[in-house]
Amino acid sequence: MSSERQMVPRIGVDQWVATAEERRLRTLGVRLDEAVARVPFALRLLGIALPVALYPVLVDSEYLLQVGIDTLVFVLLGLGLNVAVGWVGLLDLGYVAFFGLGAYLYAAVASEYAGRHWDALVAVPAVVAAVAVIGFLLGLPSRRLAGDYLAIVTLFFLQIFLVVLINSGFTRGPNGISNVLPLEVLGRQAVSLEAYFYITLAACVVVATALYLVNHSRTGRAWRALREDELAAELMTMPTNRLKLLGFAFGAGVAGLAGALYAPQQGAVFPANFDLVLLITVYAMVVLGGAGNLFGVAVGAVIVTGSLEALRSPADASWLFYGALTVTLLAVLRPWWKAPALLAATVVFGLAVHEAVEAARPSLVAGTPVGQAWIDGLVDGWVLLPENIVTGDGLPSGALGRLAYLALVASVLALTLVRSSRWRLVGLVPVLYLAASVWESLLLPQPAVARYILIGAMLVALMAFRPQGLFGRPRVEIV
Amino acid sequence: MDWDKLVQLLVNGVTLGSVYALVALGFSMVYGILKLLNLAHGDVLMVGAFIGWGALGWLGGAQDPRVAVWLLILLMVLAAMAGCGLLGVAIERFAYRPLRRAPRIAPLISALGVSFFLQNSVLLLFGSEFRSYETFDLVDVEIGIHWGPLNVWVIRIVVVAAALAMMVALWLLVTRTKLGKAMRATAFDREAAAMMGIDVDRVIVTTFFIGSALAGAAGVLVGLIFGQINHFMGFGYGLKGFIAAVVGGIGSMPGAMLGGLFIGVVEALSIGYIEDVTFGRLGSAFSDLVVFSILVLFMLLRPQGFLGRPEVKKV
Amino acid sequence: MTKGLIATAAAGLAAAAVVATAVAKTSAPAGASQVAQCTNVSLGMLAPLTGPAAFLGQEQLSWVRFAVSKFNRQYGTRFKVVLADTQLSASLARTAGRRLNANPNVMAVIGGSTSQSVISTAGLFKRTGLVSISGSATRVDLTNGQFPTFFRVVPHDGIQAPNIVAFLTKRLRVDNVVVIDSQDDYSVPLAQAIARGLRRAGVEVSRESVAADETDFSSIVANVSGAADIVVFATQTASAAQTLSQQLREQGKRAVVFGTDGAYSPTQFKPRLGYVSSFANDLRFLPSARPLVREYNRFSRNKPFGTFGPPSYMAAWVAMTAIRAACADGRATRPEVTEQVRRTNVPSILGGRIQFTRNGDVRGAKFYIFRVTDGQYRLVG
Repeated sequence: MSSERQMVPRIGVDQWVATAEERRLRTLGVRLDEAVARVPFALRLLGIALPVALYPVLVDSEYLLQVGIDTLVFVLLGLGLNVAVGWVGLLDLGYVAFFGLGAYLYAAVASEYAGRHWDALVAVPAVVAAVAVIGFLLGLPSRRLAGDYLAIVTLFFLQIFLVVLINSGFTRGPNGISNVLPLEVLGRQAVSLEAYFYITLAACVVVATALYLVNHSRTGRAWRALREDELAAELMTMPTNRLKLLGFAFGAGVAGLAGALYAPQQGAVFPANFDLVLLITVYAMVVLGGAGNLFGVAVGAVIVTGSLEALRSPADASWLFYGALTVTLLAVLRPWWKAPALLAATVVFGLAVHEAVEAARPSLVAGTPVGQAWIDGLVDGWVLLPENIVTGDGLPSGALGRLAYLALVASVLALTLVRSSRWRLVGLVPVLYLAASVWESLLLPQPAVARYILIGAMLVALMAFRPQGLFGRPRVEIV
Repeated sequence: MDWDKLVQLLVNGVTLGSVYALVALGFSMVYGILKLLNLAHGDVLMVGAFIGWGALGWLGGAQDPRVAVWLLILLMVLAAMAGCGLLGVAIERFAYRPLRRAPRIAPLISALGVSFFLQNSVLLLFGSEFRSYETFDLVDVEIGIHWGPLNVWVIRIVVVAAALAMMVALWLLVTRTKLGKAMRATAFDREAAAMMGIDVDRVIVTTFFIGSALAGAAGVLVGLIFGQINHFMGFGYGLKGFIAAVVGGIGSMPGAMLGGLFIGVVEALSIGYIEDVTFGRLGSAFSDLVVFSILVLFMLLRPQGFLGRPEVKKV
Repeated sequence: MTKGLIATAAAGLAAAAVVATAVAKTSAPAGASQVAQCTNVSLGMLAPLTGPAAFLGQEQLSWVRFAVSKFNRQYGTRFKVVLADTQLSASLARTAGRRLNANPNVMAVIGGSTSQSVISTAGLFKRTGLVSISGSATRVDLTNGQFPTFFRVVPHDGIQAPNIVAFLTKRLRVDNVVVIDSQDDYSVPLAQAIARGLRRAGVEVSRESVAADETDFSSIVANVSGAADIVVFATQTASAAQTLSQQLREQGKRAVVFGTDGAYSPTQFKPRLGYVSSFANDLRFLPSARPLVREYNRFSRNKPFGTFGPPSYMAAWVAMTAIRAACADGRATRPEVTEQVRRTNVPSILGGRIQFTRNGDVRGAKFYIFRVTDGQYRLVG
């Protein structure tokens, strides 16, 4: 798994290029990817959209329905970001500002505050067009910039967007606009959650189709050429600046659409809804699913929103943590018997440590787990869980908790440096045990922070081990 | 003309600017060598501020320090520099090195991940409340220069002096030592430097160590002047530091210093005067808008900054 | 190309059909008024339990838990607390609110803690008749009648601003004031109202604004004229008020800081001279509350607290009293509980009695103003 990473790049031989195909064949999920690619697009889309359309029929809790809508909005956002990041290869860090613009513009044409209520058939296209134009205008000064500078300009743009929202009177500052009116189509108002679910789903289908067609057109091919090598593309007489601007505007338009659907559903817009956390969450979706692959991006959005939602309560979070750990180990370790052996060894190791510690320092195992009831029953006699290690503020009391966390991070990093796969497996036993202990005692009592830590770590790990995400195609940069 | 106000704003601008300059230096050095935008640089500063805070607590706290005040400050800065230097090396080793030959966007996304990870780890371990350095208990704010319109707290002088000292030391290191020569060579052409027998990896690691140590020191200095730190503070300093690096000319060390001071002074002046200039339409909160316009102007009219060399693309 | 056209056509048709069905299902299902057996009743706790304002939510949660354990002991009930974390985000608050709405055991909600979270959730609660009682949301328009099931046990900002203005003009007799807000939904309306009130009283006012997470006020301070007597700082962070007051001294300004209720913190805001207001009296300064404070310290193992927790204790107490009354016949509905809350008349641990006005505000509420000298707090108004 790591042999190519250990090779020192030799002058004259480009290791990355030379081993690209080999690595691709060895990676997980490649067969699934190819099987999916053979199905015609329309069928694939229907195959996904129709089962999704059954979701509101199957769930009867308005909470789950709301989560479903949020997920679809994120799918839309992911699809839009994919244009800039996955296809054109621009790092657009101002992306959520366009989402915010869409939401605020919708509020400007349909809210009690604005005193207007445009029909959705007029309002939504108008908002999308306006946001796309603004995206285009922002792209103008940035077009001369190399990729990295663009990242900063757009990030700063997001910052300015928030400053303006918060400080200007006509957006009602940090109070936001609280009486955004529902979508109205030909005199009928959409007020139920089901209505919004289907409308957002429809928007996803339309956008996915449009993006698919664009990607398979001349423009799409030009974008990919641009992404792979801007200079070469320019020499082939492609209008690189115009292409970049087009990609930028396209992504902005999709984000604007997402905003225009989000605002009426929420019934209110606040500047705080469009912050960096949202930006990084959307990036995590696109990168996890595989930048450049529409289907992958949608799956990434579903996985990330689903797990973020599950990580909201400690009970569900316990399931997710132990489940994901086991599945990952089973999927990654070859041959198959290694994973069960490792898990068994960890359990035995843990029991031994637990006994030893209980005899020596009983206070280190005196805490009570806070997660899912029966998992708690299992882990209570197994992990190191000091009493009162987390105070009422959800903060570790004293140095022990902080040291344990740092030790976990350090040991995971150190483990990636171990070259011999046997020793790595052996080393994994105490690290897993430490991870479970830190999880139970520090992360589980504060799931909201834990989930963002996991997202950050996931981004770094994905980039190092699988930059193409779950479904993306590995890319090769020729230097 | 209200001279008191102008003088005071310049004092603030120079203090802020020397912090920006330290951050900009780290950005600029890393960018010069790896052509990599280290988006996590601001968060390294934040971690440095927390290390300094930890060292302060360990040495007895601001109310009841166990050592002399000057030694206390020195130890805090050194602890933060050492800790952040190691953190920088770890970030390079685990987040960036595996991606040296990957598409350019990959290390940027990795950097976003590192930044998010650091912020939330500190949030997990220290909480979201502002933590206080309680510098005001350590050194009373009235100690310092009070001369006509000029009011300068002694800590401000310490901060500017420390920043200047570090810049001079770095300048000497880069221009007078063999290591500095290797760094310059690597920045100029990495592959050619490797062929000349320079251990490029070691140079990169050293660069990360120095850049991150400077950010760590900047974090402690920020904590000392403003007294409060939290997990999100790195974002603003990182952004401004980067702008300073671009305005000064990315890759150029004197440029980073100049850019830092320039951005600091511009920010202070725009907070002070934006309301007068716009006839009360825009308040001081819009000072970021001014800095943003400067960034865009520079990128359009003089992308190489004050002191940078115009970039020539080799094919 | 034909394949693409077919795909578009198919997708378009599907989308049109889906939108049609969606719009056809216009009216939301009216919230069925839930009937609960009184044996298993919970209070929902809607607050930022994690995230940037976790300290607020955690203090409130701790006091709500204290109230529940005390009430259960006193009346032999078995109330539980269901957590709903908003993380200070309006959209998360909405999802969390739906979760509480959908839980049939939840008969009352304590919160939302912030005005934004109330705006995002009170409309949802209205549909199922679920009562929510906040111990810290102070924005004025929450109780203008738009949310009939929302109540709060603290006074709103419309009271804080006149209280502060009256104190500044009548007691301190100021004539030049700087008002700073910190760009959030709490401080901007408050700062506006204070500035308006002061101007009406003939005081010279200048306005400034800083970012919520700003730590450097020295350039703002340079804008403060030498003639200014008071800098009113509407902020949610006490340490920011502390830095501001020190930077005023550093630059030799004679103005002192007047912090609004968010700055109240005897451990963090401790200037040489300053003022701070608070929406509740500090329990630690009330002789009558000493036994309760001792009990709380035992319960929470000496967790420090400020002025955010005790009002939430009262909110929970009001809610449990109402549910108990509604449960007199063995079962209760949410509207029944709301009705009982409306009729609340219980003594407050902070002095006086809690009774609600028609719109859900507490009757006769006022703000408390403290003078801080060398870090010592003293009630002055």
